Amino acid sequence: MAWVTWRQHWTQAVGALGLLVALAVAAVLTRLPIAAAFDHDSISACVPPAARTGCDIIVPHFESQFGGLVTATRVMAVVPALAGLFVGAPLIARELEFGTYRFAWTQGVSRRRWLLSKTALLAVGTVVAAGVASLVVMWWRSPFDTLEGRIGPSGFDIEGIVVPAYALFALALGVLAGLVFRRTVAAMTATLIAFGATRFLVSEFIRPHFMAPLHRVISATTTSAMPGDWVLSNTLVDGGGRQITASREELAVLHAQQAGIDPHTYILTLGWRRIVSYQPAGRFWTFQLLEAGLYAGLAVALVLVALWLVRRTPA
Amino acid sequence: MSSPPLVADGLGKRFRRDWALRDLTLTIPKGAVVGLAGPNAAGKSTLLSLAAGVLAPSEGSISVLGDDPLRTPEILGEVGYVAQGAPLYRSFRVEDTIEYARRTNSRWDREIAVELLTRIDSRAKVGALSAGERARLALALALGKRPRLVLLDEPFASLDPLAARELLQLLMDGVAELGATVVVASHVVADIQRVCDHIVLLTGGCVRLEGGVEELLESHRLLTGPRRPLGSIRGVREVVRERYSGRQLTMLVTTDGPIVDPSWTVDRVSLEELLLAYMAPERLPNVRKMERVALRWHG
Repeated sequence: MAWVTWRQHWTQAVGALGLLVALAVAAVLTRLPIAAAFDHDSISACVPPAARTGCDIIVPHFESQFGGLVTATRVMAVVPALAGLFVGAPLIARELEFGTYRFAWTQGVSRRRWLLSKTALLAVGTVVAAGVASLVVMWWRSPFDTLEGRIGPSGFDIEGIVVPAYALFALALGVLAGLVFRRTVAAMTATLIAFGATRFLVSEFIRPHFMAPLHRVISATTTSAMPGDWVLSNTLVDGGGRQITASREELAVLHAQQAGIDPHTYILTLGWRRIVSYQPAGRFWTFQLLEAGLYAGLAVALVLVALWLVRRTPA
Repeated sequence: MSSPPLVADGLGKRFRRDWALRDLTLTIPKGAVVGLAGPNAAGKSTLLSLAAGVLAPSEGSISVLGDDPLRTPEILGEVGYVAQGAPLYRSFRVEDTIEYARRTNSRWDREIAVELLTRIDSRAKVGALSAGERARLALALALGKRPRLVLLDEPFASLDPLAARELLQLLMDGVAELGATVVVASHVVADIQRVCDHIVLLTGGCVRLEGGVEELLESHRLLTGPRRPLGSIRGVREVVRERYSGRQLTMLVTTDGPIVDPSWTVDRVSLEELLLAYMAPERLPNVRKMERVALRWHG
């Protein structure tokens, strides 16, 4: 089956290779000015906890200078879906659409073995390609990771081992969708929707709770500068620990202004504080392992369902 | 080893609400060349798909070479199935397609396949082949498996008569070499009548007629005579079909003895006439109903 898989999917392998080369070239070209600026401004001296004078100007300047590029790297968050759209979804749907399943599934290889061999081999290819993409992104983002960390949403899902896990999940989704919907385009659409929905739900509602967040109490007037950590919430509370609503805060500020007092000073005299709930930077790899495990587990479950269903398809 | 190559027992297949095949019980004897005849939508393709393990039965069971093709898919390595339209990968070269079959079949026999593919460029894309070449390739793939059972679904549908004849010859040569059992589905009676020694006629998802060609031809007679009321005719068991033309009456009958009544001209019937009579589209009462009508009429 290895030969069969290669013969039917080598064009996709070439496509993936092309994308990876394009990604690497784009990464090298855009990374050169970043590295130059990083060295030129000696930003390494601003990496926390070190903080020489002027960092509060240099670092934001550096970040805003390359902010557009950093935003552009967010596209890598959806790239793993390509494995599902262009490899997974057509895997069975194309056979059903063109009737070639009548040939493929009536040879000496049972259709379960056919599906398992193909999916397993394509999974290996997918993991390798996604792993390389992840390494390129990690190399590219390293200056920003040292400054702002990578456990937060801007870095977490395009670095590390979650990227291959997302790709694997997308692949399995595509395979199952192809089997259920029997049409390539329908399967691709379903894959994209399911992939997007799952990624959204996990990153919004599950990932923040992988481990109990830590809390830190800071002064009410500091703007929670906690570089490297993933800040989940930042609430203003009064002396009794009750949450201050936005309108109450506005009222206090207004009150201070009318009385001619500095609002900051006024708020401090009220005994208000900020409670920051966060996931520390040191949990990055633990979180990576948990999220990658979650997606890999989902992928395995989807493939098992497909293996079970394929025996009863197409009727 | 000696289990019949194909056995259907109460086999039925439903697509949504419609039954494509219903209550089909059938045994194909070993070594037979079976013509699976019937009009369009009679259930021929469905029966072959069920035998090839492509579809699952809705009721009843089917056994191929002694095994359920869905539970024991490995048995398909010994079944040469060519689906309708011979679906193959159009982007593959001929040689790739052969390689595919070699790698997925343990009993693969290259020589048989190559023999059928002389005159076809092995580097040509499957999508660029003519209908005849493509049918030949599909047949080569099926026979290269050294199958014990060959299932062909309308293999001649898109071929000109010459190509069809050639393909049929290749099929029969290959089958003779392998000693395989063959089931060829075709709605064109002429295609199959020259080679098959066994007939299964399906209409509306049921077996309408089944048996060896010789026995069927021997047990049917065509009677021609003047149109007039008559008593029962000695030697006639059932009237299958009757047709009036002017004052003449022509009847296809099954016999249970020699017909000696001098008022009737008795002719042998060709297989084509026989099958057409059984599957004629207009009013297709089953044999028993016809018999009752005939009896009253004999009055």
